[in-house]
Amino acid sequence: MIATIRAEWRKSRFRPAFLVAGGVMAGITALVYSLNWYLALHPNAAGDRAVNIATLYPDQFVNSVMGAAFPVGAAMAIVVGAIFAGSEFGWGTLKTMFTQGPGRLTVWTGRLVVFGAWMLILTAVLFAIGAGSSVVVALFQGHAIAWPTAIDIAKGMGGIWLVFAVNGAIGLALGTLIRQSAAALGIGLIYVLAVEIIAVRFIDLINNGAYKWITELFVNQNATALTQSFTSPAFGRALAPAVSAEHAVLVLAAYGIGLVVVAAGLLRFRDVT
Amino acid sequence: MEHTTIVETHSLTKRYGSGVLAVDSVDMSVRRGEVYGFLGPNGAGKTTTLRMLVGLIRPTSGTATVAGHTPGSPAGLKTIGALIESPGFYPYLSGRENLRVVADLASVSQKRVDEVLDLVELASRAGRKFGTYSTGMKQRLGVAAALLKDPELLILDEPTNGLDPQGMAEMRKLIKDIGQGDRTVLLSSHLLGEVEQICDRVGVIKNGHLVKQSTVQELLGEEGVLVRAEPADQAQELLTKMFGPEAISRQNGAIHLKVKPENSIEINRRLTDAGIGVSELRPFERSLEEVFFQLTGEKQGS
Repeated sequence: MIATIRAEWRKSRFRPAFLVAGGVMAGITALVYSLNWYLALHPNAAGDRAVNIATLYPDQFVNSVMGAAFPVGAAMAIVVGAIFAGSEFGWGTLKTMFTQGPGRLTVWTGRLVVFGAWMLILTAVLFAIGAGSSVVVALFQGHAIAWPTAIDIAKGMGGIWLVFAVNGAIGLALGTLIRQSAAALGIGLIYVLAVEIIAVRFIDLINNGAYKWITELFVNQNATALTQSFTSPAFGRALAPAVSAEHAVLVLAAYGIGLVVVAAGLLRFRDVT
Repeated sequence: MEHTTIVETHSLTKRYGSGVLAVDSVDMSVRRGEVYGFLGPNGAGKTTTLRMLVGLIRPTSGTATVAGHTPGSPAGLKTIGALIESPGFYPYLSGRENLRVVADLASVSQKRVDEVLDLVELASRAGRKFGTYSTGMKQRLGVAAALLKDPELLILDEPTNGLDPQGMAEMRKLIKDIGQGDRTVLLSSHLLGEVEQICDRVGVIKNGHLVKQSTVQELLGEEGVLVRAEPADQAQELLTKMFGPEAISRQNGAIHLKVKPENSIEINRRLTDAGIGVSELRPFERSLEEVFFQLTGEKQGS
């Protein structure tokens, strides 16, 4: 197992697609912070989207970065997952991996560990840039720098890691099922960014929301609820999340486990042609 | 002499879901230490058979044993090096880094990476990205990866595919070198001349069937003498008297004699003395190419 993890890390640590994903994540976080800072300083221009400057200071940065994490960060995770799984088929490297000695499931487990590490790296980039941006805002605004508690930061990172990991697992499973990256990431993005949203609206309309419980099992709903659970009075939100954070964690974890088990089954039993 | 087998298949069959019978009841046996040539036209089932031997594809029925293990079992794979079809590597990594990844997976020392790079004469270009490699360099890297484990059995599927004549000659030399000693090489190739030069035994597969398996010598048959003379019937009568009817056959106007080429002087003298004009008299040996086309029913030069 250690050998497969080492091999997987060796080949993915300098992989351009992943480094670009990290860069895009950093850029998006910085952009979201910049935009919110502008809106906070120009309330007249912001209109309904006015931002309380207090939400951009370091003590609120965990709550603030949630906006950058979903859905853009989640979409990035789908892309990375689809590329991670699908390109092995395109390059013919799966047959190289499967003829070296470790069993197929051992190889897959090693790959999952490294993929999980990459999702953690993306999460860390998000938080690092968020923290850095909040310090810049505080310094410019002459506000004292105070940080959230370590437990809040850990909870926030855990929540975002879970959202990224589950969305990444969608990409992984599709890449494995379709045996290529391009179609996998296309289908994954369309599902999460369009199909689920339309389905939720449609189901909510049926019989005055009698089947709303079904929508509470969707990835989007749970990921949104999890990120919305990180808030504070400074954000002034009145809307309660659709489901509780505990429910969201359980549903997302079930999706993550289910998807990687399905992908493992495909890899274990399908011929490598 | 007793031979132990390293690859043994019994009624090995692969039928794809689409109903295509790719490999049909193949009984194949590769002996330890030999270079075995696996021949067949495109689509005959060579690659599917080799994929089954390394566990990439599961047989529909039949059994196979590779180095004493079930194909694809981790213990078996540790003793096999394989290059199946095209080499599969990461284009954004250098040749050396790609081998390091494979070495990690195979739990082989990283020191072995430079050894195999030297062996395939790729050390000087090992720092370049795989995506920039020529076809020949890619094939060499594939062979290097297959050699990392210092395997008992090396399976090479069309290693000269896409190579220019010089690349083919270099690859042939490389395979000859790595086939020395106790290592067994199972080589699938289109290049019959190459197989004839390198291999001890061959198996010929056609439409999924193994139609022949023997030593190259057995396959080529005994040496003989080819005679073209006029009048041909008179020449045949005389030669039948000399060597008996079982030694003579006629093909395309030529008389084929199953006799040692050393008899050529005597044949020429007797035919000339009898007033028969000899237009061609030469040792005759079938090429593997002729045998191959005969066995597979393919048309030569088509």
